[in-house]
Amino acid sequence: MMMHRIAQRSIIVVTIILSLILAVMPMSLAVAVWRPEWPLLVMIYWIIALPHRVNIGYAAVVGLAVDILLGSTLGFHAAAYALVAYPAAKYYQRIRNFSLSQQALLVAVLVFVARAIVYMFEHYLNNAPLMFYYFWPALSSAFFWLWVCPVLRKLRRRFQVT
Amino acid sequence: MQPVRSVLNSFVSPVQYLAVMPEQALDNLISQVQSRRRLVRENEQLKEDVLSLQGQMQRYQFLVSENERLRGLLSSESREERMRMVAEVIAVDSDPFSHQVVVNKGSRNGVYIGQPVIDAEGVIGQVVDVGVITARVILISDQSHAIPLRAESSGIRVIAQGVGNTNSIELMHVPHSTELAEGDLLMTSGLGGVFPEGYPVARISAIMRDESLPFAQVKAVPVANLDRIRMLLLLWDSNSEYQPIRTEQDVEEERGL
Repeated sequence: MMMHRIAQRSIIVVTIILSLILAVMPMSLAVAVWRPEWPLLVMIYWIIALPHRVNIGYAAVVGLAVDILLGSTLGFHAAAYALVAYPAAKYYQRIRNFSLSQQALLVAVLVFVARAIVYMFEHYLNNAPLMFYYFWPALSSAFFWLWVCPVLRKLRRRFQVT
Repeated sequence: MQPVRSVLNSFVSPVQYLAVMPEQALDNLISQVQSRRRLVRENEQLKEDVLSLQGQMQRYQFLVSENERLRGLLSSESREERMRMVAEVIAVDSDPFSHQVVVNKGSRNGVYIGQPVIDAEGVIGQVVDVGVITARVILISDQSHAIPLRAESSGIRVIAQGVGNTNSIELMHVPHSTELAEGDLLMTSGLGGVFPEGYPVARISAIMRDESLPFAQVKAVPVANLDRIRMLLLLWDSNSEYQPIRTEQDVEEERGL
């Protein structure tokens, strides 16, 4: 029973690790600017699906991993992910009842806000110049949500993760 | 925070290796199926390169011995040979706000924070983060990086700061009356203790003398192609506490090269 439960939980960890790999996978620059914010997509899904299991703390830890992988100052992505995870965790019941396309719109907003938070930190603390293409992944993330959400739901049901 | 970071870095480095695995597998496959004709051509090209480099090397040896003799005459300190190690950039995508690359050598190989990194053309940057098997190198074009330089012809000392653009750096606090000219080569000055003296860094591309500003605006183009680095060299001072550590794998790789 115990082992079974651990196996179920590990699905969450495995999907998060996969999303981190996708986040740093090398791509040509033209495609890379459209790279969706994979870790945040996966975090949003799990927070909405299993709010009693995956919480803001998870989001902060995943954000920290992103910080290290991308080499940004420790805590920028962690703070952004945690802040964005809050509305998702608070209104999970409402978001679950949205249609997939409505959810996609919401994801676009959340990813945009997360990126804006990271950009603000980078701008005020590291003098980063404004690059508009930094915000394009908000759109691609919304697009990929239409695919990520059903796939993760299928995984969750298949392995009965609770 | 630094030890915390390097521990965390070692934790996530498997993710980095996994992320580059498909690309490396593809690269391997491509090099496996290269045609014989192409290999022969490449071999010829390499032989030619070796010949011309050996020619230059003879001259270099002569200059080194002459330089040492002259330095001896001036009774000034002679320069130490530096140790180096080839590192490969594992093409991991980085934060768009900073210019960094991750290389496949880490504390296991004796890499340390602040270590200078060069490539065949010139200075690339310095190590900012060390994991066990990877290290992160900040490029001279990063907006948080500055490097002390000296103009090769006039000997004027300047500090160059990155502006977040891989083919431009800016010289800070240059007076309007400067003798610097467009096209001047800037070398590392050896001040500051991070970069060793005498490596080429950038070439001045534009000097704007706008009298309404306190300083002249001087832009320079890095001599290394910072946007397409693949192999780079880590440098070690021969009398510092840090020394390169060659693992068996490295030795094998070098034999294979």
